[in-house]
Amino acid sequence: MAPSISRGLTVLATAVVAGGVALAVAVGDGPATLACLAGFVAVATGWVVACREPRSAVGPALAWSSGAVALVLSIEVLARSSYGSSPLPLAEVARPLWVGVWPIHLAGVLVLLLVFPDGSVISRRWIAVPMAYAIGILASVASSWGAREIDGQVVGGNTGAWGTSLAVLGIVLTGACLVLAVASVVFRYRSGDERRREQVRWLMLAGAATVALLLLGWLAQALGAPIAVAYTPFLVGVVVLVPLGVGIAVVRHDLFDVDRILGATAAWTLTLIGSAAVFAIVVLFASRVVGAGTGLAPSAAAFVTALTLLPLQRYLTSATGRFVDHDRFVAVAEVEAFAAQVRGGQRAPEEIEELLRTAQRDPGLRLFLARPEGFWSDMTGARVEPPEGLAVQANGAVIARIVLGHDTARARRRVGELARTGWVPIEVSRLRLALRDALGEVEASRGRLAEATAEERKRLEHDLHDGVQSRLVATGMRLRSLQHHGLDHAQSGEVDAAVAELESTVAEIRRLAQGIRPSRLDDGLGAALASLGEDSPVPIELTVEELPELDDTRAMTAYFVASEAVANALKHAHANRIEVGVRATDGRLVVEVCDDGVGGISPLGLTALRDRVDSLGGRLGIDSVPGLGTTIRAVL
Amino acid sequence: MRVVVAEDSVLFREGLVRLLRDRGHEVVDAVGDAPSLIDAVAATEPDLAIADIRMPPRHQSDGALAALNIRERHPHVGIVLLSQHIELRHCLELIGTPGFGYLLKDRVLRLDEFDDALDRVAMGGVALDPEVVQALVRSRQAPTALGTLTAREHEVLRLVAEGHTNTEIGRILGLSGRTVETHMRSIFGKLGLHDDGATHRRVRAVVTYLESGIGR
Repeated sequence: MAPSISRGLTVLATAVVAGGVALAVAVGDGPATLACLAGFVAVATGWVVACREPRSAVGPALAWSSGAVALVLSIEVLARSSYGSSPLPLAEVARPLWVGVWPIHLAGVLVLLLVFPDGSVISRRWIAVPMAYAIGILASVASSWGAREIDGQVVGGNTGAWGTSLAVLGIVLTGACLVLAVASVVFRYRSGDERRREQVRWLMLAGAATVALLLLGWLAQALGAPIAVAYTPFLVGVVVLVPLGVGIAVVRHDLFDVDRILGATAAWTLTLIGSAAVFAIVVLFASRVVGAGTGLAPSAAAFVTALTLLPLQRYLTSATGRFVDHDRFVAVAEVEAFAAQVRGGQRAPEEIEELLRTAQRDPGLRLFLARPEGFWSDMTGARVEPPEGLAVQANGAVIARIVLGHDTARARRRVGELARTGWVPIEVSRLRLALRDALGEVEASRGRLAEATAEERKRLEHDLHDGVQSRLVATGMRLRSLQHHGLDHAQSGEVDAAVAELESTVAEIRRLAQGIRPSRLDDGLGAALASLGEDSPVPIELTVEELPELDDTRAMTAYFVASEAVANALKHAHANRIEVGVRATDGRLVVEVCDDGVGGISPLGLTALRDRVDSLGGRLGIDSVPGLGTTIRAVL
Repeated sequence: MRVVVAEDSVLFREGLVRLLRDRGHEVVDAVGDAPSLIDAVAATEPDLAIADIRMPPRHQSDGALAALNIRERHPHVGIVLLSQHIELRHCLELIGTPGFGYLLKDRVLRLDEFDDALDRVAMGGVALDPEVVQALVRSRQAPTALGTLTAREHEVLRLVAEGHTNTEIGRILGLSGRTVETHMRSIFGKLGLHDDGATHRRVRAVVTYLESGIGR
């Protein structure tokens, strides 16, 4: 629709409403004045929409939803005056129309339903609906041409068979058109996208609220309230809530979480109807059983109704939620199911990011974790500086941030709810990552310590050999030289003794250095292990497979595992035979020491050994059954 | 005999040089690192080179590597490696070959034995520290022809590997020279070594003995 036409129609509607107010005030018709004044809400909303969406037909249609009412009221006021003593201008024109124009009341609403929320009808075919409605109006006008209303009774008009048929035609046509208009909205809702659905939901919300108000009206009337008081909220609903709902839908459809409000409204409306039904049934049933006239029936009914109210409301909230806001319902259920699976140990909590993406239907969604160590990381644990996003809180602290790929107010609300539902997996992932990193750090630090120790031992061993030992031998050589250059027999004997002492000291140092770090490791692990059998009273069978180049730390640890295990077997196992095997499999060094001794050793005695293996990130296995010997296996 | 000494510890080097001179040897050069040793040997063509196994520049088996180099370029120069502890990397192909010795440093203090070992190596014999021999034998893996030797024959062969003569072996084990010779014949027979010059056969027996631990 061209903006000029849209504006023109809105101006016209405004003028008609203003005219209606002026007329109603002029004749002193209070209710008509109020009705026309209330119409300004729709007109004002219509203007807002017409300005924001100049090409949409929704603005003028909205303005005309009250414009049409004002038009009918004006015609009635004019027609009424024509029978009085001082007819207003144009009274004669309005006079024959009076009774037949009533369908015009709903003409604006009809067009509104047809063009909402896109601003035009679904397809050209739908233009037939307002056409048919116009024919219906004409039929209605023609059937009651010239009739007048006195005290609620229609007098005059076309009373023949012709007139009756026209009247029936008018009612059928207008009724069918209204049904079609509602069908158009339903059709749009079912085939529309997310945004359209949300807009339609606003209209549904206003409609549901109006229906609820109507029900309240009935209830109030049944309880004895005057009709004017009982139905005023409903009328306000019609003239204020519906235009407001439509206006918000077109201009700011994501203003509030309409889905929830709608779901709650619908649920409460249905609860009211249900409660009233329960109440009525119980009263009817109880009065049959105990007889009418006692106060028992209403009391019982009130009791039963109160009992059913809460469960009914809960069930209906869930049911309407599923119907009105299916997507949200499914998404929340998905996250809930996931959280339950995480609790049950069937899924890893770290999958929460992927799950939120699926549930939110936003592949660009990202979840960042606020690490307890004081920085942000992504789900893999990599340190990042996340962009602005939605904070997820738990126990008063921010635990994560969600950054949406498709960021709208509605998406934020939705994902916020999902995050609240799934905060436990988020928190668990966050803590697990922190734990993993801390463990990694501990492991790395242990590894560094082990390496440093190995390095230190190597240095110490070299110092002993090349420093102390070398100087001792040099001193011995000087003594020998002294001996050579002339000493008497006694002195020479002293020197011999001193040199022998030095020799045994050197041997002692060599033995000590061996304990610090077996120097044969320089020739390879196999060579070092071969020296194990040196002082063993029990035969040691050594099997060393082809080994890759080993770093010093690993070679040393392997050596100490073997020597500890052998020492253990000699000391406690009363073994007759010890087998030592070393092999490399899949980049790991396996050291295995088996004996045929008594078995059943306590793993506590091997704590030092285990610590040594652990410090390299290796594993120590002990297999010791009483009577079946012991096998100690280290995987490095 | 003319000797080149290579040792990075000045104290030890000076002591060794003095001892050698006391014993009447001519120390033609005394150096402190492996490259200088190779140069000194090339320049002086000595009868014997005595080298520390761990020396500059890398402070690893530089002495052993230098020994390999010398053996290739000057095959007639005897080589004795000295070490503070058993360290066999890079020495394995020299061990058991004529004109090579490997001794722990403190053996130097037993002057007579040390001098004997130097003489043997300079004459084209072998001199291995008992601990070296032990280490090599311990590393033995697969059973070989050696497995058929008796305990006594093993003992004799070990002493041969250490570089002792039959007479010395007889003295050490308390056997007569003839008995030692009988043992040697039996060993040669079991190892399948035929008589093609006694010294050569002796060396090959030692090589077989040592290889059983080396060839791994």
